[in-house]
Amino acid sequence: MLTIPALKEKARWVRRQILEMGLAAKSGHVTSSFSCTELLVALYHGGILRVNPQNPVWPERDIFLMSKGQSGIGLYPVLADMGFFPVADLKNFAGAGSHLGVHIGKDIPGSEIVSGSLGHGLGIACGWALADRMDFTNRLIVVLLGDGECYEGSVWEAALFAGHHRLNNIVAIIDRNQMGVLDFTECSLQLNPLDEKFRAFGWDVQTIDGHSFEAIFAAFQDVRSRRNAKPLMIIANTVKGKGVSFMENARFWHYRVPEGDQIEAARKELAQG
Amino acid sequence: MAKLSFKRGARDSFFEALFIIAKNDRQVVVVTADCGAPSLDQFRTHLSHQYVGVGIAEQNMITVAAGLALAGKIPYVYAIAPFASLRCYEMIKVDICSMHLPITVLGVGAGLSYDIMGPTHHTTEDISIMRALPDMTIYTPSDSIMAAALANLTYQQRRPQYVRFDREVFLSIYPETADFSAGLTHLRQGKGTCLVATGIMVHSALRVADELKKKGLDLGVIDLYRAAPITGELLIKAVADYDLIISLEEHFVVGGIADALPRVLAEAGICKRLHNIGLPHKYLFEYGGRRRLHELTGLDDESLAQKIAKIIGQAK
Repeated sequence: MLTIPALKEKARWVRRQILEMGLAAKSGHVTSSFSCTELLVALYHGGILRVNPQNPVWPERDIFLMSKGQSGIGLYPVLADMGFFPVADLKNFAGAGSHLGVHIGKDIPGSEIVSGSLGHGLGIACGWALADRMDFTNRLIVVLLGDGECYEGSVWEAALFAGHHRLNNIVAIIDRNQMGVLDFTECSLQLNPLDEKFRAFGWDVQTIDGHSFEAIFAAFQDVRSRRNAKPLMIIANTVKGKGVSFMENARFWHYRVPEGDQIEAARKELAQG
Repeated sequence: MAKLSFKRGARDSFFEALFIIAKNDRQVVVVTADCGAPSLDQFRTHLSHQYVGVGIAEQNMITVAAGLALAGKIPYVYAIAPFASLRCYEMIKVDICSMHLPITVLGVGAGLSYDIMGPTHHTTEDISIMRALPDMTIYTPSDSIMAAALANLTYQQRRPQYVRFDREVFLSIYPETADFSAGLTHLRQGKGTCLVATGIMVHSALRVADELKKKGLDLGVIDLYRAAPITGELLIKAVADYDLIISLEEHFVVGGIADALPRVLAEAGICKRLHNIGLPHKYLFEYGGRRRLHELTGLDDESLAQKIAKIIGQAK
């Protein structure tokens, strides 16, 4: 278990990998991966998830579902650093022969699902959680959604289902970076109040600072021994593009990588963390 | 072992057989989108832990089934056919086919089964769109014996599968011992012309063949109950001695078996005279029952016999 400073350093390393992968491939959803970096590092390096990189399909593992599959570029460095596959694989992100696509494909050690189309992960989490309940399997099903993903109606079909069946083995996290592809969510189509919506659907909801390791750990603290029968939704307030000032909260960075002078500027900011 | 009844429709025969399977394998789970069936009631009452209702939410039906399958279950999802196929098509693509999960999609109401319910409930594009999915196996059982056998076959095969059930109770075509692993059955040998039909149209084809026999036309009939994948060798062998092949389906010919057959022949480099009979490419806001819809679309026995005789006449 790493200390908070060590986790912060790990997050810095992950962001630098994301940037370099994006630059090399001239592709990838860099900003929406920067927004969930601390969440992913806390889940894996922070030891929230029970996983076994030597045996990715270890039957007793917790299940992590990356429903916002565009953040493959954010997940891959974390999985690689954990030892699920070689860190060297990152260099060929989205390249010929690579198993690491812009969206999450098949047969990636440590990844459970094909992901890239939004609105699938929460329903899959419901099915998995239900199966675990049928089989008396005790583990967590953690699913990470984007806030823009919550425009998909299927998210709400699944939310209704999880609430009704009281699937409290599910912990869903929304990477609430306030932005969709083109604009801020509250300008394009209002999502707020997200917490009240999920509460009304039968969820226990916590809202946290998604860049604070302390807040993330606090939210997950008693997650294996919750008395609350409701599924847990963690709304993680984050910043799209976090870590590089000119990419933060800025429109049109959803699917762009830095160019020209921006490249060194971004590297410098991430190095300073 | 419980005795199966084939006096029931295809769907209920399937569920009766599946119930027996599920009693012996608790991994089998039925997921429904608020769609009932008399034969499903025994799942609800006796195997309630293997029965999941998702409400009228077909997209969630598929994603929940995917989660169940990833956790080791063998899900069968069930809804009215247009909603089990078209409504949640992208979920079927990503969550079933791209991950090659052992999920069987069951749709009730093939073709115009839901006659007076209108085009929202007609299922006239499902073969077409399901054929487009790599990895998808498509069945249209033509009697209850086949439907019951498909419960076992789909359970054994454990792959992406789609079974579209008619709502009518058909006369039995097959013996209880029949094997359905081939995907097609050459039901009747003929000379010159062969009707290749699926679902309810297999029965029409047999009746029309009887009728035209009286006029001296000896038609062959093939039941193409598996629209995908078609085993090319078997189909080519079955049609080898015919000059004219006429496909027959209660489905749009666009993308239906009408399109599947020439693909098989083309891949083998075989040239045959082909004709397609199916539904006109439009939505039918007409009521009065299935027979009337058939009359309006030329799929009633009389129109079929005339049309087929004319095609054969032109071919000579």
